[in-house]
Amino acid sequence: MENKETYWSENLRIIFICLAIWFVVSFGFGLLLVEPLNAIRLGGYKLGFWFAQQGSIYAFLALVFWYSAKMNTLDKKYDVGS
Amino acid sequence: MNRHLKVAFMVAPILLVLGWGGADFYEESKANETRFIQLEQEGQCDIINKNCVLKSGEFKVNVFDKDGVTVVNSTFPLDTATLFLVDENDKMTTYQLGMQLTPYYWSRETPLRQLVSNKGEGHKLRLLAQIKGGQYISEFYTQTAK
Repeated sequence: MENKETYWSENLRIIFICLAIWFVVSFGFGLLLVEPLNAIRLGGYKLGFWFAQQGSIYAFLALVFWYSAKMNTLDKKYDVGS
Repeated sequence: MNRHLKVAFMVAPILLVLGWGGADFYEESKANETRFIQLEQEGQCDIINKNCVLKSGEFKVNVFDKDGVTVVNSTFPLDTATLFLVDENDKMTTYQLGMQLTPYYWSRETPLRQLVSNKGEGHKLRLLAQIKGGQYISEFYTQTAK
């Protein structure tokens, strides 16, 4: 029982980290901080613009795989079978 | 593909749509905030001889007189346009312009032609052009060149 609760709380922690990164990358870099980021150039593009157009999508994809890897590690740690 | 990866791939589009909706809402509310932008005179301004352009970035306003009717023509559609004739005592007379066939053209009969019909005569004016999300303001001086 205790194991289940710890598993669930760690699971929630991973989800909240994912949501925080999702918010920072999409709203933070793409909208709220777009002006200061636009002062930096990445491959000729303004960084704020790049995040709004492409960067956030790459970050979301990376997040999907990171989440999956973290959850697999968690499953193994708590011996939760698929 | 394990179950966590499947779940993540199912949730990701929902978050993407939520993000898109949120960003759209944010941009919309930001665009509705009223901002004041100053229009600068582009070279000499001579309304009578159809040579008066005010600009700010890509937004340009051409002010000219056509048989006693003052016309304002802009590069973006306007919501309202108001012209103020300012006399030597800095007193303003307001002329709310009416839309012509399109919101790119606004006009109204004003006494401007009588005031600056002769060469060398000038007059101070102010313009307030309102578009969605901003008000363009300008104080300029027309002088008849010929």
